[in-house]
Amino acid sequence: MDDEEDLSNPKKISNEDSISQKHSAMIERLTNLHQSRLQQQEISRKSDSNLSPSFESTKSFLDRFSSLKQAIETELDRCRNISDRESKSILIKSDLEKISLSISNLEKLVAENSYFLPNYEVRSSLKTISDLKEKLELVNSELLPKKKFAFKSKSSKTKEQNNVVVVNENVIKENDVDSNVKVRDSPGFRDKEGVVLIKHFGDLEEGEFTLENLNSCEIRLIGRLRAIFVHKLKNCRVFVGPIMGSVLIEQVEDCLFMLASHQIRIHHAKKTDFYLRVRSRPIIEDSNGVRFAPYLLVYDGIESDLKECSLYEDTGNWGNVDDFRWLRAVQSPNWSILPEGERSGTVYISKSETSSENS
Amino acid sequence: MGLLSIIRKIKKKEKEMRILMVGLDNSGKTTIVLRINGEDTSVISPTLGFNIRTINYQKYTLNIWDVGGQKTIRSYWRNYFEETDGLVWVVDSSDIRRLDDCKMELNNLLKEERLSGASLLVLANKQDIQGALKPAEIAKVLNLDAMDKTRHWKIVGCSAYTGEGLVDGFDWLVQDIASRIYVLD
Repeated sequence: MDDEEDLSNPKKISNEDSISQKHSAMIERLTNLHQSRLQQQEISRKSDSNLSPSFESTKSFLDRFSSLKQAIETELDRCRNISDRESKSILIKSDLEKISLSISNLEKLVAENSYFLPNYEVRSSLKTISDLKEKLELVNSELLPKKKFAFKSKSSKTKEQNNVVVVNENVIKENDVDSNVKVRDSPGFRDKEGVVLIKHFGDLEEGEFTLENLNSCEIRLIGRLRAIFVHKLKNCRVFVGPIMGSVLIEQVEDCLFMLASHQIRIHHAKKTDFYLRVRSRPIIEDSNGVRFAPYLLVYDGIESDLKECSLYEDTGNWGNVDDFRWLRAVQSPNWSILPEGERSGTVYISKSETSSENS
Repeated sequence: MGLLSIIRKIKKKEKEMRILMVGLDNSGKTTIVLRINGEDTSVISPTLGFNIRTINYQKYTLNIWDVGGQKTIRSYWRNYFEETDGLVWVVDSSDIRRLDDCKMELNNLLKEERLSGASLLVLANKQDIQGALKPAEIAKVLNLDAMDKTRHWKIVGCSAYTGEGLVDGFDWLVQDIASRIYVLD
């Protein structure tokens, strides 16, 4: 200010004396300012250190932090133990609130000291805090489960009686269900080993068919079907006429299948060859070592059966396999096209041959 | 003009219903949706991901989400739960062996809080196949009677192949949702 006044002096005298005088005055003022700042800092430091003796020492901070942490943890455990004895929830609630407060105080402590703490300490203490919070949340939900919001009608007296009746009904119903859960089996070949199983489906028999638990068998299903379910086959050869609906295959190993169908799903198959004609894309899931080739089955009258089921033309989809376990653009390692040299020839099954060894 | 079109849009939106179709693989979800929509059902590959169809049904617009049921992708069902008005659980009534799986998956679904308000239509599909279980039998196996009393539900036998029963089921579903949401109409 003084300088300015001097400068604005209209006389504009610029002799060296006055300049040096002004200069020294300014220096003095600056040093004074600096001194007072230092003093203030000193005072504040003293007062601070009175409040928190841990100031600017990592070790003392950590000591304090861990002791506070331990206090919170013991408090939490105490609350949990109280709950076992089913004590008053109001008490627990206030206790939990206190704990939550001390956790946030702990958080504040970390925040205040974070500027001098090493990075690692800051991170680990923040982690500890979030763990504590989680624990509190857990205890909270254990001890004081939130009530679900619901509208309730006030006239409860008459309702209560009704409720009792309803509950009784429920019990009766459940018992009923338990005893009735056993369901009938669908038609099929089950639990056989080392035999040839043949079945002809006439024009009327248009149902589903099951192959289950077969080992080292040859299965021939001639004629039209609606759906087949295959489950747990090992070392089997399966030849099936056209299927109007879908095929579901699960858990097969070392088998050969010839199938014509609208949809084919293959789950948990290992080392198995599929000769398919299929209208949509066949899919595999949890399978490996499965190979695909076109349908090569022939029996007298198969052409009309195929036409009947709209499976006469080969769509070429037998090779468009989707692997649900391999959702990438590259070829799945779980399946491959069966090389032509390794394919079986056309398989002819005679319609007259009905002899199925002890089926 | 701007305001009018906004109002129209809101009006239109009000009549929308979001319907989620789920169920085990091979139960016929996609076939049902295509059948209702009058599309060709002769070539349907197992669903990898999902299909959406918007269908005008009575005075409502149904947004039908048909989500694939293969085991590998069942865990993604929950991505579709939000804002679902109606849940359609499709059962292959001829697949007796996997009814336990079916029951378990349905129970898991019904525990989901985001679906707690949705009306449930159970479609006992493939009734055209000889030997398929009747809707009443399916209801017993799935223990539907023991469901939470607040749930609106119904089981209907149907055949996506012949189309039988589908309209009955969706009529009920749409009416039920409408009566919950558009009470003022």
